[in-house]
Amino acid sequence: MKTVDIVERIEGEARLRLEWKNGIVHDSKIEFLNFRGFEYILEGKPPLDALVYTPRVCGICGQAHLLATVNALENIYRNANIDIEVPLKAKLIRELGLAIETLDSHIKWFYLFIMPDVTSLSNKEYKEYEPIKGRKWLGATKTASDIMRALAIIGGQWPHTSYMVPGGVMCDPTLIDLATIENYIDQGIAFFENNLSGVDMCDYLQFNSIDDLDKLSEDLKDFKDISFEYGLNNTGKSYNRFFVLADILGFKSGRIKQVNSGKVNMVKIKEYTEFSFDANVKKQSSKKYSWAKTVKYDELFFETGPMARAMVGGRKFIKSIHKEYEDSVFTRVMSRMDEIAFLLDKCKKIIKNIDISESSYIEPKIKLKDISYSKATGVVEAARGSLMHEVEIENGKIKSYNLITPTVWNLGPGSKIDPGVAQKAIIGSTSLNEAKIILRSFDVCSVCTTH
Amino acid sequence: MRIKPKVLWFQGITCNGNTHSLLCANPSRLELFLNSFDLIYHPSLTTHTNLLDIIDSEEKIDFLLIEGAISNNTNFFSISNHSVKDLLSKLVLKSTYIIAVGSCASYGGVHAKFTLNDDITGVQNSLDKKSLSKLKHKVVNLTGCPVHPEWILQTLFILKSKGTIHLDEEHRPIELYSTLTHHGCIRNEYFEWKVEPEHFGTKEGCLFYSQGCRGPMTKSSCNKILWNGVNSKTRVGMPCIGCTETDFPRLNMLETNKNIGIPAEVPLGISKRAYLTITGVAKTFNINRLEEKLIKYDD
Repeated sequence: MKTVDIVERIEGEARLRLEWKNGIVHDSKIEFLNFRGFEYILEGKPPLDALVYTPRVCGICGQAHLLATVNALENIYRNANIDIEVPLKAKLIRELGLAIETLDSHIKWFYLFIMPDVTSLSNKEYKEYEPIKGRKWLGATKTASDIMRALAIIGGQWPHTSYMVPGGVMCDPTLIDLATIENYIDQGIAFFENNLSGVDMCDYLQFNSIDDLDKLSEDLKDFKDISFEYGLNNTGKSYNRFFVLADILGFKSGRIKQVNSGKVNMVKIKEYTEFSFDANVKKQSSKKYSWAKTVKYDELFFETGPMARAMVGGRKFIKSIHKEYEDSVFTRVMSRMDEIAFLLDKCKKIIKNIDISESSYIEPKIKLKDISYSKATGVVEAARGSLMHEVEIENGKIKSYNLITPTVWNLGPGSKIDPGVAQKAIIGSTSLNEAKIILRSFDVCSVCTTH
Repeated sequence: MRIKPKVLWFQGITCNGNTHSLLCANPSRLELFLNSFDLIYHPSLTTHTNLLDIIDSEEKIDFLLIEGAISNNTNFFSISNHSVKDLLSKLVLKSTYIIAVGSCASYGGVHAKFTLNDDITGVQNSLDKKSLSKLKHKVVNLTGCPVHPEWILQTLFILKSKGTIHLDEEHRPIELYSTLTHHGCIRNEYFEWKVEPEHFGTKEGCLFYSQGCRGPMTKSSCNKILWNGVNSKTRVGMPCIGCTETDFPRLNMLETNKNIGIPAEVPLGISKRAYLTITGVAKTFNINRLEEKLIKYDD
């Protein structure tokens, strides 16, 4: 039996094609059928214009794209043997912006995207989670909106500010600005404590064992209880291989393959288009089924995102949960929620370290449009995982631009014998609803996946 | 029970930025909106309805909100197995008011720059004359990349209470798009006296002279109705990129195109001669207060 289903509430749309045998998913395909051609749009544009374009790849993680662009353009200078200085203050303000955006994304994802599906598994009524009307749904959008004010203090607005620039940032916050940002972060902490986990955040950050799950109350307890009742702790497992590309926000780059961990060697990252549509042809070959490309490290699929970051970074609570439930839906969701506490704490530390007497920006010695040739890569950890931008400049213009988004790592297409990360996780599901929850657990963003 | 007007949010070719902008509305205002209107469908928010079922049903839509550009090319883009244009034209037939939310829905925006697909337009241009002539109210364009959430809410509330809204030649609500981004910018005094910032990253100086700021040529309420309730791009030091105007995105957006040291484009409706005269005079005064740091910390 074959089924085809449209999946919404995932930042865009995907088509989930499942092949069933005896009530179990035997093969899966995740099809992303929408393509906007950002890489093509950027060709021939002045390099600095990329700062305006790339945040618009994605309405929810635009700041990650902005920072990846800035990192790539700063490396353009370095690779052309031109020194470029970036003040520590600017680096910290950029990280702060990235962290705030990630917090917003994680909170909205839990309440708007995954909990409506998770609660629907249960026979009990979870009216407070009901979209649009439920108290918890409204509370989450309120908190997310409040937290974003913190980003507007440094970026002017969100979504779609381009306040980061090669050489620094465009803003110059005052001490009152920083205190106000901290106020919003504190509101986020109160939400984490009172609504999400029911645990004091300092105590939560000391959690180091799976037994600490018993200390959770409030919404994470609801999630945990439903997960255990309906087996989300044993479903959605994939390769159990993890990959983190950027050292940023306290995340460490590295990879884990079974028990072996190691550093990341950029040349081992390769994209493949065996199953991906080609924008330059009208009639696609039958093998191709998605606008997403396939990306592998050392010819193997790796999962990126909050679970990978917790595993590579060695966060004890998540490692202990993973030891028992491996890379299941439960571990994946808990990792993303655990990252909220990690990032709220990180924001407080970043704010403390910003020295407002430093300069926000140091003008690069020459303009990007005066560079005759250079090629470079910029990496960052976005809400959904490792994000990489590769840019090539020729005669002061963008010659080529390539994006490898986190969702390409997790959702890129594979074959029946060599399935992609999410594809493999879905194989073995026993219902369409379960398959959709597994897909959703990767925090699907179709706009980033195909860009 | 009071009958609430039905709102349907349709997404075409988009980054979802306007959806996230809406979610960033002042929380009490967002709640008021959700209580005053019946949001029957939004691809990222609602769970109980399906777009194709609504299209096939007899259900009428009071406010059709469209986020994203429109195309009939299904090689590059399709929604629920249909072209964006196909779904839009069916939805339009059921709807009383059509509101393009954001620059992409208004005129194509960023996505229209993807030239391999030469069929990307805004809502107005994608509709045939017949369906346009049947509309009770002109298509409303809320330009901006993204649009400010308050502009969406104010437009909906006005239409709900008055039934109509005054539009400019670009079909934008006049009351939201008559002032310039420049109005209300806290750097205005630097503009008056033609004081440039040394470079990016300062509280001082007007961004019009070198950083490419389009504030004096762009119609928007960005410095009147603050973003996220607290700020604006030009206030922090990011130049306006003119995203509410139909020529967005332009080339060299973070740099001012100059002629003999003077911005090649002058503020909207001001003659070049008037602008040059004022500039020449203003620049002869070296005003210390404006040349110095705005805040001098004493340690």
